[in-house]
Amino acid sequence: MIYFYDGTQEAFLTALTLSFHDGEPFLTSGNKQLVLGQETAFVRADPEKAKRVEKRLLSFDKDCMHDLDTLLRSGDANKDNVALVYFRLIAEKKRPVRTMLGEDAALAADECIRRVGFEVHRFHGFVRFLQSASGALYAPISPDNDICDLLVPHFRARLPQYPFVIHDVKRKKAAVYDGEHTFPAPLEEAEIVLSANEEKWQKLWIRYYDSVNIPSRERLRQMRGYMPVRYWKFMPEKTRPFTDGEEGGGAPFPPS
Amino acid sequence: MMCYNGGMIDERTLMILTESAKYDVSCSSSGSGRKNEGGIGNGYASGCCHSFTPDGRCISLLKILLSNDCIYNCKYCLNRRDNDLPRATATADDICGLVMDFYKRNYIEGLFLSSAVHISPDYTMEQLFLVAKKLRTEYNFHGYIHVKGIPHASMETVQKTALYADRMSFNIELPSESSLKLLAPQKDRQSLLVPMAQLQRDKEIFKAEKRKGHFIPAGQTTQMIVGASPEKDGTILRLSQGLYRKKGLKRVYYSSYVPVVHDSLLPEVAGGALREHRLYQADWLLRFYGFDAEELLPADGDLPTEFDPKCAWALAHMELFPVEINRAPLETLLRVPGIGARGAQRICNARWYTKLTFEHLKKMRIVLKRARHFITVGGKFYGAAETAVRGLLSAEESRANATQLSLFSMNEIALSALTGEL
Ligand code: SF4
Repeated sequence: MIYFYDGTQEAFLTALTLSFHDGEPFLTSGNKQLVLGQETAFVRADPEKAKRVEKRLLSFDKDCMHDLDTLLRSGDANKDNVALVYFRLIAEKKRPVRTMLGEDAALAADECIRRVGFEVHRFHGFVRFLQSASGALYAPISPDNDICDLLVPHFRARLPQYPFVIHDVKRKKAAVYDGEHTFPAPLEEAEIVLSANEEKWQKLWIRYYDSVNIPSRERLRQMRGYMPVRYWKFMPEKTRPFTDGEEGGGAPFPPS
Repeated sequence: MMCYNGGMIDERTLMILTESAKYDVSCSSSGSGRKNEGGIGNGYASGCCHSFTPDGRCISLLKILLSNDCIYNCKYCLNRRDNDLPRATATADDICGLVMDFYKRNYIEGLFLSSAVHISPDYTMEQLFLVAKKLRTEYNFHGYIHVKGIPHASMETVQKTALYADRMSFNIELPSESSLKLLAPQKDRQSLLVPMAQLQRDKEIFKAEKRKGHFIPAGQTTQMIVGASPEKDGTILRLSQGLYRKKGLKRVYYSSYVPVVHDSLLPEVAGGALREHRLYQADWLLRFYGFDAEELLPADGDLPTEFDPKCAWALAHMELFPVEINRAPLETLLRVPGIGARGAQRICNARWYTKLTFEHLKKMRIVLKRARHFITVGGKFYGAAETAVRGLLSAEESRANATQLSLFSMNEIALSALTGEL
């Protein structure tokens, strides 16, 4: 049976309970092509069922809901099923299965979770804030996984006096810190009036980036390995705004 | 909103002072869990890379000199007195302003401040101290600060700097006293080792007395130039081992010599990147894999070029292999070529529940290209005949080298990626 659901935790847990009676379930939140002759079910969240199974799962592994949250954030097209199989294994073994890497289900979940965690770590470094005229900071990002709100605690701890917005332009959503509270918000486009000095600081940063490089030791493959090109879109040192005509020039920045 | 009146450094000064600092290889921002105390910034214990330059290196800290106007004349150095090059000296507020605005935009993790010996060692150290102090007390900055120690500067200034810095480093520069004398005549071993040892003692006392505040929480590191002088890898690694085990250093960095100035005492060619790479691999074995320098090579020997040091060690000890994946203790797994620290840990975890097969290992992404010659899995051997192993591994290694060179000189991300490889 192929189960479709809306990608929420609650509907996931509901689908999980339904799948217990199923030999070969497959779960997806995407619009997978229907294969003729395959049975399908659209699962709606059943809060009661979800609560019950959550309680049971937590009694087997007190950290498993954290895993679920992480898995459902993954950009992997197969994440829903990876999560389903992983949680079925927890239910089967009645214990944490995190380190049972001999099991395919545990291994697949482990990798998925690790990739999300790694991207969060990378974005702690790769986020680039622009300062607006009001002093607030704005960072557009376009990560593989749905992580923008996971980045907030890190920056909030460092920059408590600065309200900031981390904007996932791909998913059209943002994580907002208003100087006091943190909350998610849908966000299509943002219009930012840059602070008077923003351009100068970005230029200085680009100067720094160019000066600290050792050209005689060029290793572009390594650079791209550690900082994949898909992440460059919002990094001034790679898009090189305000430096028209100079080497390395790219799309104008910030994006309009 | 916080207010501070940091100036804005001009582009030219920034470029000169960066160009002059860039050959220093240490850039790590790890090891400090400093909290934000009502200002801006905190430590990130595992370190964090913010960007990567086309040379493949990580940018973690703003690496800059306060001044490149040097009274010393170290022969290998771009900033030596006799070298004709544009000079600049920044003010403390220039640097502080730069750090604050770069940090706020998340360009950097903090500051790595060094300097040429400007006016005098004491004067220079005092200026470095002032920047660190200003950043912490006036600018309320709690991000990472690494300050270079200036040889021959007053110990007192060095000590008070340690109260504001997360990390300090006195660079050994060259692997032997005689090379130092020849190439950096105004420095001597003692001017580097004595303050290093003093800081270590101070740090221990600071900890033991549970004093308030911080005293270089991320410890000390050092750096030496490899390939400018005749010392062998064996000497270098014994020196590093001593620094780790006796002086409590956190990291020793190796910087392959780059001929930036001409001098009859210096080689005209750059030290090989492969040598630097091998030294970092061996250094890694000393720190995380339970190896002693003495096991890896004789004092007057160099590391082999055709194999990584762990592989070379294993090939010389074939009588200890193969080991059984399902039984060998962690320390033994760590010695299998190709199995890294993370891989070994994952194996130990997984075999607790089930007897591992070769398929399991593959799925767990344990790199088996090298390892298979040194292990059995469930009693079965998947490697080649002992006589063929050498040839296979050497061919494998030269392919790998083409892409992996000097990953080890990199920062955190690279290092964590690599623990699975060695
Ligand atoms: S002291 Fe020596 S190594 Fe340092 S900047 Fe001056 S000349 Fe260069």
